[in-house]
Amino acid sequence: MHNRQHRILLIAKRDYLATIRTKAFIIGLVVAPLLFGGGFLGVALMQSKPDIKERRIAIIDGSGVVAAAVIQAAQERNAKDLFDKTTHRQVQPHYVFETLPPAADPKAERLALSERVRQERLYAFIEIAPTVLSAPPATNDTGNAKDSKPGPVATYTNAGGFDEASGWLSGSINDGIRRVRLARLGVDPSRLSDVLASVKVDRFGLVSRDPKTGEIREASKKNEVAEFGVPFGIMLLLGMIVMVGSSPMLSAVTEDKAQRLVEMLLGMATPFELMMGKVLGALGTSLTSSAFYLVGGTLALYGMGLSGMVPFAVFPWFYAYLIADVIFLCSFAAALGAGCGSPQDAQQLAIVLLAPVMIPYFMITFIMQQPNGAISTVLSLFPPFTPMLMLLRQAMPGGGVPAWQPWVGLVGVLAFTLVMVVAAARIFRVAILLQGKTPKVAELVRWAVRG
Amino acid sequence: MDAVQISNVTKTFGAVTAVDDLSLVVPEGSVYGFIGPNGSGKTTTMRMIASIFYPDRGDVRVFGRQMLGARSELIGYLPEERGLYRKMAVQALLEFYGELRSGRKVTAEVESWLKKLDLAKWAWQKVQTLSKGMSQKVQFIAAVVPAPRLLILDEPFSGLDPVSAETLQSAILDLRRAGATVILSTHDMQVAENMCDYICMIFRGRKVLDGTLASIQDQYGNDTIRVAADGGARFLDGLPDVERVRDFGQVQELRMARGCDPQQVLRTLIDRTRVTSFSIMKPSLHDIFVRIAGPEAGEAQIA
Repeated sequence: MHNRQHRILLIAKRDYLATIRTKAFIIGLVVAPLLFGGGFLGVALMQSKPDIKERRIAIIDGSGVVAAAVIQAAQERNAKDLFDKTTHRQVQPHYVFETLPPAADPKAERLALSERVRQERLYAFIEIAPTVLSAPPATNDTGNAKDSKPGPVATYTNAGGFDEASGWLSGSINDGIRRVRLARLGVDPSRLSDVLASVKVDRFGLVSRDPKTGEIREASKKNEVAEFGVPFGIMLLLGMIVMVGSSPMLSAVTEDKAQRLVEMLLGMATPFELMMGKVLGALGTSLTSSAFYLVGGTLALYGMGLSGMVPFAVFPWFYAYLIADVIFLCSFAAALGAGCGSPQDAQQLAIVLLAPVMIPYFMITFIMQQPNGAISTVLSLFPPFTPMLMLLRQAMPGGGVPAWQPWVGLVGVLAFTLVMVVAAARIFRVAILLQGKTPKVAELVRWAVRG
Repeated sequence: MDAVQISNVTKTFGAVTAVDDLSLVVPEGSVYGFIGPNGSGKTTTMRMIASIFYPDRGDVRVFGRQMLGARSELIGYLPEERGLYRKMAVQALLEFYGELRSGRKVTAEVESWLKKLDLAKWAWQKVQTLSKGMSQKVQFIAAVVPAPRLLILDEPFSGLDPVSAETLQSAILDLRRAGATVILSTHDMQVAENMCDYICMIFRGRKVLDGTLASIQDQYGNDTIRVAADGGARFLDGLPDVERVRDFGQVQELRMARGCDPQQVLRTLIDRTRVTSFSIMKPSLHDIFVRIAGPEAGEAQIA
């Protein structure tokens, strides 16, 4: 068999073997998930080492009645949350309170307390207005930084970023205020804990009917790992494999061009055969990595007794999207690489290449909050984003993606990939033998359209 | 059958016309040499024959077939810019190139050529460990495995030491004897004179010479005198009807004006010094090249 397919496969085989036999590939296979997953591991490690240093809080109580209730509520919560129930390790700081009367000069008092916070003799202070019990119910905070007028209760702290203590204190303050209100309504103070006790709310999926037996199947309890971890993990994996598989193409083509290998190869294969051979070689590398990770991940989940979380149903989609995404991005990379005058030019273009993978990462939270909203649907049907976003939606347990959407998305991705391959092949053919000149964007577009 | 037929071919790159209305024929079984200054269009022409570039206008036929869009094991191509995968082993690389061109395993042919060019012991070394000369031989093997009917060699001897150059010349002539047609480009006029059955000079994209060495020289006639005399070039000033003197040190070459009598030149020279050698001949290819592409030609055009 000596034809176009044979030449494409031969080039693909050479590139594939040349890649997977390198130490860089083998090391990358292990290091890439560590880099991608390292952040999450770091967060988990940091959460296992919480700051448990005692925190002193001062309360200026303008109402004269709320501080005691707030302190009681906080101490009860603190006592309950201070230790992990399983390991009995302290997981929360111990909160200590002091109450101060409102001073004649509130500004001077706030300044003095602020100094104590700066000197780390206080963690924070709370100012409760006299009108706190008659204040209207809180509305959502607009987050307007210019609106610096304090409300009925204000906490002052030096902590930056996401201060988990503020959230904890806010819960305790409201709990205390509710206690005072209930006491005024005549509720027996000894029953307050029972009245205010929270009830555990379990989340379930939907009940369904077995299509074969007609039997009604009970809904299963929702699981945070399955709901967030698995879809996020599989999308992360797809993005990682696509990036690792396609980004070297840009520099590989530029290097082949710089080392004058291309002319030799073009004496034996057409530009299209050369480009497709390289693309398929990269695809082979990506499929090898994906098999390694999917098999490894599945075995790990089985080993942890979480076999039910393995999303077998989305595996075929994972591979369909992976193949389309790698072909599309590698063709794009080959065209850009052919147009680059030097490896430095190629490095500057890498960010353009990775945009279809990186942009969906910024949409994860939005898509997971509203997986079937109109915007999520439209974004996941936009071909460059379909592989990442549709897969994310499909992998969410009970995500309820209508059956037609993945198919329409896949058809869109395949059509888009085909167009990109044709356009890339046209650019590649013209640009690959250009030396000493980096084509302008307008030229690349002209070559892509006209050939 | 002619191996290559190029008819009225033009190829432009932006505003630059690399090849301008070129027509030529390469007879099968011949060694056909392209000469011409850098940037004259030789490489572009060879790339079009190898179907790497497509002409904007005109027709390129190889063995009677239009080769556009197709690669063939009939053609072996050695580009001017050498390119090899540096991290591959020599034999693996040559087998890859050979299979890519022919669609079949070529292990035996590769081994035979490695032995022939004295590279057998380097067969499983990485290309990056080879010297420049050895790399060039490897590149040459890539062009000739499997044996092509048409071999296109762009500057095959550039940068080679005399021994390696002779080895390659001998290999090329062996291939020709086996029936292959060879097209090569060179800046070495001696190589062109010694190896080529036909010589084509391209200058500024246009063909300015085409034919056998003898037929090209015939166009200029016996207008050259090669002389060796005591005192060298200093006795050659002001000789009647001599247009140009080229001093090679021990020997001088005189170009005579049309209608000049060489006997008169000899008589004048004998009057001036002792002449040890005097021969009337056709101009060398080198001289013809310089007459067409040298500064003298530019001056003539300006005039």
